Amino acid sequence: MDKVDGTEHYNFKAPADLATLQVIILDTNPLAWATFEKSSSLSFPSALSQLLIFANAHLAFSQSNRCAVIANHIDGVHFLSPADPGTDHRDPGEADLTLEDLKEIAQKNASKYRVFRLLEDEVRASYRRLIANTTPEAVMASPNASYLAGALSAALTYINRICFGGMGGRSGGVPGEEKSNVNSAGGKVDETGRTMHAKILVVSVTPDPANQYIPVMNSIFAAQRLKVPIDVCKLRDSTVFLQQAADATGGVYMEPEHPQGLLQYLMVGFLPDHLARQSLILPTKVDVDFRAACFCHKKVLDIGFVCSVCLSIFCEPPEGAVCSTCQVKLDVASLENLGKPVVLPPKKKKKKKAIDSLPGSGVASAADSPARTE
Amino acid sequence: MADSDEDFVLSSSGDDRPKARGGAAGSSRRSTRKSKRADGAPAPGATRREKWEDIQRSWDNVVEGADGSIAGTVIGLLEATKRKRLLRDTTPIQRGIIRHLVLILDLSSAMLEKDLRPTRFLLTLRYARDFVTEYFEQNPISQLSIIGMHDGLALRISDMGGNPADHLTALQEKAFTVEPKGASSLQNALEMGRAELYHTPTHGTREILLIFGALSSSDPGDIHDTINSLVEDRIQVRIVGLAAQVAVCRELVMKTNDGDDSAYGVILDEGHYRELMMAATTPPVTRTEQKSVPSLLMMGFPSRTVEKHESLCSCHSNLTKGGYICPRCTAKVCFLPTECPCCGLTLILSTHLARSYHHLFPLKNWVEVPWSEAHTSTHCWSCQTPFPTNQSQTSPIKIKIRKPSAAAASTSNGTAAPEKDRQQPSLLPPTQRYACTDCKTHFCIDCDIFAHESIHNCPGCQSLSEEKIKSRANMWPPSTKNGDIDLAAVGPTLSMRTQVAEATRMLENSKIAPGSSMEVDN
Amino acid sequence: MGSQAMKSFEHLEGLSEAIFKRLYQQPATALAVFRRMLPNLAKTFVMAMLFNPDPVPVSSLEACVHPDQNRLKEEAFAKLRQLYIVIERQGTFALDATFKVELRKALTGGGAPGSFGLPCDTEDKNRVDIAFLDRYAAEQWESILHFMVGNETQSSRRPSEGVVRLLLHGKLMEQNRASGTVITQLGFSFLLQEVNSQVWTLLLLYLDMAEQLRMDPVDILHFLFLLGSLELGQDYDMKSLTPTQKGMLEDLRDYGIVYQRKSSSRRFYPTRLATGLTSEIRSLRSPAATLANATPGNDENGFLIIETNYRMYAYTNSPLQIAVLNLFARLISRFPNLVTARITRESIRQAISKGITAEQIIDYMTANAHPQLRKNTPILPPTVVDQIRLWQIEGERMKATSGYLFKEFAANMEFNAVCKYADDIGVLVWVDKNKGMLFVSKHEQIADYIRKRAQSNR
Repeated sequence: MDKVDGTEHYNFKAPADLATLQVIILDTNPLAWATFEKSSSLSFPSALSQLLIFANAHLAFSQSNRCAVIANHIDGVHFLSPADPGTDHRDPGEADLTLEDLKEIAQKNASKYRVFRLLEDEVRASYRRLIANTTPEAVMASPNASYLAGALSAALTYINRICFGGMGGRSGGVPGEEKSNVNSAGGKVDETGRTMHAKILVVSVTPDPANQYIPVMNSIFAAQRLKVPIDVCKLRDSTVFLQQAADATGGVYMEPEHPQGLLQYLMVGFLPDHLARQSLILPTKVDVDFRAACFCHKKVLDIGFVCSVCLSIFCEPPEGAVCSTCQVKLDVASLENLGKPVVLPPKKKKKKKAIDSLPGSGVASAADSPARTE
Repeated sequence: MADSDEDFVLSSSGDDRPKARGGAAGSSRRSTRKSKRADGAPAPGATRREKWEDIQRSWDNVVEGADGSIAGTVIGLLEATKRKRLLRDTTPIQRGIIRHLVLILDLSSAMLEKDLRPTRFLLTLRYARDFVTEYFEQNPISQLSIIGMHDGLALRISDMGGNPADHLTALQEKAFTVEPKGASSLQNALEMGRAELYHTPTHGTREILLIFGALSSSDPGDIHDTINSLVEDRIQVRIVGLAAQVAVCRELVMKTNDGDDSAYGVILDEGHYRELMMAATTPPVTRTEQKSVPSLLMMGFPSRTVEKHESLCSCHSNLTKGGYICPRCTAKVCFLPTECPCCGLTLILSTHLARSYHHLFPLKNWVEVPWSEAHTSTHCWSCQTPFPTNQSQTSPIKIKIRKPSAAAASTSNGTAAPEKDRQQPSLLPPTQRYACTDCKTHFCIDCDIFAHESIHNCPGCQSLSEEKIKSRANMWPPSTKNGDIDLAAVGPTLSMRTQVAEATRMLENSKIAPGSSMEVDN
Repeated sequence: MGSQAMKSFEHLEGLSEAIFKRLYQQPATALAVFRRMLPNLAKTFVMAMLFNPDPVPVSSLEACVHPDQNRLKEEAFAKLRQLYIVIERQGTFALDATFKVELRKALTGGGAPGSFGLPCDTEDKNRVDIAFLDRYAAEQWESILHFMVGNETQSSRRPSEGVVRLLLHGKLMEQNRASGTVITQLGFSFLLQEVNSQVWTLLLLYLDMAEQLRMDPVDILHFLFLLGSLELGQDYDMKSLTPTQKGMLEDLRDYGIVYQRKSSSRRFYPTRLATGLTSEIRSLRSPAATLANATPGNDENGFLIIETNYRMYAYTNSPLQIAVLNLFARLISRFPNLVTARITRESIRQAISKGITAEQIIDYMTANAHPQLRKNTPILPPTVVDQIRLWQIEGERMKATSGYLFKEFAANMEFNAVCKYADDIGVLVWVDKNKGMLFVSKHEQIADYIRKRAQSNR
């Protein structure tokens, strides 16, 4: 009789049932790939084929799984799949993948599962279009062009549309209203109103776009809010942005040692979906560099000074106590009260004269907030 | 209240912004509403009308389409509501990023009312939980404390601290177990809040958010003394009233916010309650009157370690394997951001700082695309949703078009147009396209909201090369100038540092004073 | 809901190793087995090993699973062994060679032409569209169901002899001297399943019967899995089919799984029932819903409203649905588009006595809940759900589980280890520590385990 408990049937929305959307962000910068190929003997076409096999493997997991591919090209971000819907209004139900002109090829080529085939054909076709529209001059002009922030933003908005019915990340919704929206989207949903899980894989050969720090960070936080892990497969040059992206969102960060074997890395490290990740320990980089670089001398710091207005980081109080970023006169006097550290790390360079000149003020004041003013 | 706009003087060339929005940015929502009313009244500055005199009937706006359906209007209204929430002041404004806030919850018998479901009490606590999470999400380097008003006393629920988990546990353990009882005492709670905030450093803000369910307060002394001392201590008070407006609350808010009562809101329903409460998660605008003194803070950027064997963390004395090591005293803490329990150094990650940047540089509002410009796009750029096609022009609506010229006029007028469209939902079915003024890319309403509320980037601007954006400069809509510096647009050209510098300089020039005149900081 | 469809696959799991080896010779089958019959974690393992040329040490696979997820891990391993997908040799795992090759072919598209169906190269003069196929499938399938509940109205025809034979063979119906063929208890529970599992149930019965008719089960399964990977609305050529499979087409046409304009036609169209064969459960609720499901995410096909006072309102005029409702509810009144009913203790007891379980009733009601009801969480009123379960349990004072008893262990330590292992792999039903006995539902792995322990101790 003790089998009767009502709790069981409250769980029928098991998260296990949700399918996964995989968004692949692929660097297509020809120059970067060419340079990379020299050092690693992994060419772009072969990398693309391996990625497509990876995408197929993802789709093979479940009928409802979806995959989208976004190109991070030299002149901006392009959707490779789903390709630009253009003018045709297709039935959204018959997958975003169908393309009328591909039917022809499909007739002849039936050795492939149709879902796989459609994705591949679409990606290859869009990629060919993309390359056809790229001039050699443009390639030479932008050796390191990368629109990481844009690609991430596009991926996230797409995920927001597919997985949350456009309602994700809604900070202040009316509960009742939200409910009905979720249901109009139909199908299974979990408590956050998502109809699918999602993950992003960034395959990158370009260095960090340093000028996109804020937008990239913004995208990372948005991904974090949506609980979308950002996996990173960094083929060349390690990167701080992407490391932080993977770390903050709980994704996997890998720098393959043998890029020729890309596929195996993809299959082992990046394929597991939301459910499998709960029970797997995935290979990822454990120690992430969180230290900040100061704005004035680009030194990497572990203790620094932060402007309270614009949050700029300095390695020493700026000249004249004026923040060089926001031109606000800063109250440096507040630092005077700083307690000297209880134990000075022996190797540490002197931070600042003001601190040094201060007599050790003992434990009591050291326990105060460092920026405290009285 | 319609005349409250006169309190403000807009920034020098802010004429391309809506009138009311230049006001206290902390309450963008309310001001939008105000401006709406101002438009509705025949003569601005005529006799003041009370809220209830101005009834808006939703059915007045409904227009039948050519085929007799109202689908177009319905979509329009839906999108207008969605967007209403979204439109906020996008001028980069100096905000108090480092905040200290005391959340005061009413736990008096008034909270047993069931006008909010399930009860005021339970809903408030639920929202309080969401508030804590959201607050720390938005303000990672800020601090919070929670106080309850219970049975005439102030009840301390959680101490000033920066760890959301602590507050959530405290709420669960202390607030949920309390039975709402007795009267509420504003004075006791405010005094306790003041004591909490008294010791906070000057560079941060000092705020109180008061949830007030009762209509009366039982105080031991003169509440006005408390109000004055709050003003003296530079504490800003926001109040969310659950029942009706209370005079003393209004006075309290006015006095602590330099005569601006927009921080006092009385809820209409559950959704509005949440909205008012969540509005307080946005960092407040720093007033010119130097509420807080900018200063330089010493902070540690610890690195994470993973140890082979578990060891005690110095913050909770728990056995943990991983943690962050304070760079000054090498104590191990398990949670960031925090203050090192041994040496008192503020420990944060650089990502925490980055999290606050979007408050400093908000994303520009996008403008609604009129049908005349809609032909350039067929689908949302970023989520690939197809847009409705231009059928309305082929089958124009014949019935009851109030101002057929309005839509046409607005396109030629440029920037002023979208504002008008927003005020009175357009009578044509909406194009459901929204365009960024810099990269001219068209997006759908959901992406618009998502970009403004979650990503804080324009996917279009980030995805187009500089030259492309430049080449599009002459397309519709015209770029908004001055004040609204969209970093996203400038982004690719400038390094972050100069970006910040540029933006902040501009912001200094166009800073908005709550008082009567515009001042330039120092 | 998923469990029902999964059950249909349990039948397949019992097949012999030789049959599996032959099954894996087709990429479509390898893919379908991978997709439908493996738990999530097992899929992950397979993918990790698929492009690895060397066998993987078991320990390294084990190392990447969280220690507290042991049960899932064991389940995954067990399933992989059971389906002969992995070969365990000297502490390493390797994928079955055929399976590996064929699954790779499926992913990379390196298979023979036509391994995922051979589309017709000529234009069909009498081309049919997807809507037609959906209608056709629904009509055919519903006619079978109508026949089972015994209302052959003007709208539905009597299904063909082959179908009747199959129903009789599967004991879904039985010959009754008085009233011809009548539905059995098994039939009732069949009715309450969702369409996808109904289709599978019927196809497995077909498989069963076919074996008696000396048709090659591997051929049949190949074809079924192939059907699952075809494209809706595309016509396929019969050229690439084996004679057995050609013979099957005729039967499948009767079920509404494929469409052929006439039996001599050399092309066939798979319907949604076919293309859904290897897809997830999400798809088809009822034949009528099949149509609505043409656009996924559109679940506006529920018709049942259940109130907390056990009243039920069904917006339907389909005799089939009414007949099904009549199985577990007391019908009160009928209007042109609405039936009101009441769930009572009697009605549920009656249903249970027919062999329908409470779970089936609840699943059915959940699956067909009205969109209005769907806004609630949980969808059905908990009181009603609980009460239905309680009513079922009233009659179940005792629960029988078939299984195996292990006793008389040599040492207590041994006993404890086996207990723990049995619990880990989820087969432990009952244990008595004092008497040193345990009861498990499956014994193969346990026996293996004990043997291994004995070996290593030696």
